Amino acid sequence: MTEKKRVITRRDFLRAGSYVVMGSLMGVSLPESASAGKTQKSKVVLIRDSNVVNENSLRADILGQMFDQAVSDLFGTADPQSAWQQLVKASDIVGIKSNVWRPLPTPPALVERITSRLIEAGVAAQNISVDDRGLAHNPVFQNATALINIRPMRTHHWSGLGTLLKNYIMFVQQPWMYHGNACERLGSIWLKPAVKGKTRLNVLVMLTPLFHGVGPHHFSRRYLWTYGGLIVSTDPVAADATGARIIQSKRNEYFGEDKPISPPPRHIEAADIKYALGNSQPDRIELIKLGWEKDILI
Amino acid sequence: MNSVYQARPCIIRHTLILLTIMVLFMTKASHANTLKDLGARLPRQYKHWTAEPEDRLYDEESIYSYIDGGAELYKAYNMRQCLSRRYTTAKGPSIILDIFDMGTSADAFGVFTHDTDGNVIDIGQDARYRSGWLSFWKHRYFVSIYMEEETAAAEKAVKALGQEVAAHISKKGFRPRLMQKLPSEGLVSGSVRYLHHPIVLNYHYYISDENILNLSAKTKAVLANYQAGTETARLLLISYTNLKVAKKSLTAFSKHFLPDADKNGFAEIENGKFAAVFLKGKLLTIILESDSRRLAEKLLTPFL
Repeated sequence: MTEKKRVITRRDFLRAGSYVVMGSLMGVSLPESASAGKTQKSKVVLIRDSNVVNENSLRADILGQMFDQAVSDLFGTADPQSAWQQLVKASDIVGIKSNVWRPLPTPPALVERITSRLIEAGVAAQNISVDDRGLAHNPVFQNATALINIRPMRTHHWSGLGTLLKNYIMFVQQPWMYHGNACERLGSIWLKPAVKGKTRLNVLVMLTPLFHGVGPHHFSRRYLWTYGGLIVSTDPVAADATGARIIQSKRNEYFGEDKPISPPPRHIEAADIKYALGNSQPDRIELIKLGWEKDILI
Repeated sequence: MNSVYQARPCIIRHTLILLTIMVLFMTKASHANTLKDLGARLPRQYKHWTAEPEDRLYDEESIYSYIDGGAELYKAYNMRQCLSRRYTTAKGPSIILDIFDMGTSADAFGVFTHDTDGNVIDIGQDARYRSGWLSFWKHRYFVSIYMEEETAAAEKAVKALGQEVAAHISKKGFRPRLMQKLPSEGLVSGSVRYLHHPIVLNYHYYISDENILNLSAKTKAVLANYQAGTETARLLLISYTNLKVAKKSLTAFSKHFLPDADKNGFAEIENGKFAAVFLKGKLLTIILESDSRRLAEKLLTPFL
């Protein structure tokens, strides 16, 4: 006989005060990888360049250099090619999960750079595909052995932030099922067979992040700012947590008061504590800052 | 004789099916036509702004391709159609006009109450303006007009366009009748949310990961904030169409949310605040996070 699912209410959160207790409440045991993750810090590279975005146009050459530098530093290699040799095998089938949200899509130049690095590393061109909304029917994603996750950071109506963690919502058939309690269950998607253990690299695009949203489309150019950055990590939680701190700082600075991200992006902490996908706390993140330092906000 | 009697139910059944199909088709078509007609009456040239040649029309499915992420909100309020028009100019930001046909004035009002930030302005039946975005409702329409970048000229144009759209919607709608049951004393202005979907309730006040209150398209709910001196509380009223469902909801809420309630339905919760639940007929009243038991009792009294 299967045990009936326990209903979680607001009062459980009030009692627990944190996801640590929530995890035990829900009978969630930490996956094996979690224990390993907890003994070491997650490495996150934040790289910025003041010239990568100029007068709303993107310098693809600078962006490519930034990305290569970030990946090399993340893996401690002398050149990006060596890093990609560690990242993928020639036999891999690689899905590049982008984001096509019209006002702020994944920059094609960055996707092209990733694709060319994958091909250099020996992955066959026909075994590489870039997709977002059509990935459920994309044969490369259906057979993927590796995923590269790349998206711009923005505030989001249901989840507080559109993050790397949230970018995998297209792997489920009913995304709206994950919208409860500010999408705090998003981490569970990363434990599904189509995704689990496949993500080799996460790239949070912070070139012109959206730090506040209005209206049905949750968008206004007023709330975009040129940050000129990329956040790169193998740990999606650490990358998102780092991006979230920057967004929060920007909001406080812009509005001249403490202006919490709304709704609070609970899914980041939940991905750490409840689903053990990585580290969300700053003291568990080794942040490497490269390049432009002005107004770095972290 | 027998064959005639056997044939008659068959004819009736086929007629009914045909009628149902025709009504469904006509309803959908009439919504589309109404919105298209409304769009046709609106100006295509507005001050410095010119409408793009084609308006776009979305239904409850295709809306996902237009509003990424936020579309569930409109589905949660039974959206029928959305007409979208983009006004562009070389002299400033684009202005995006979205008119949502919500099917009923209650749902148009409901979706409007989802976001009540901003300044009250006099357009339609209720309107708010906050940096770069105007929203209002009138009749069964929810209207959103926003500018991609905020400028003084665009703000002026957005507000004037809003007036124009409202003027072209001749009928007025009614606020949900359930609103009339809210006690007026201490009701915080602009805090009322009308809803009937758990994702909307959980957005404004997280109750639980399961739909223990059995909210659905058939239920009507209002959530409102109250203030009495320095004390605050929230009141949730849910009107069910079915007594069985109402009782089931009371039982589930009592079991999962207020298992420690006293015989009157009150409990002090973990943050030192008070909650209460009471069912009368098909109306479920819930007090959430009242600063004192006294205030919770006061709010509950009219529903006993």
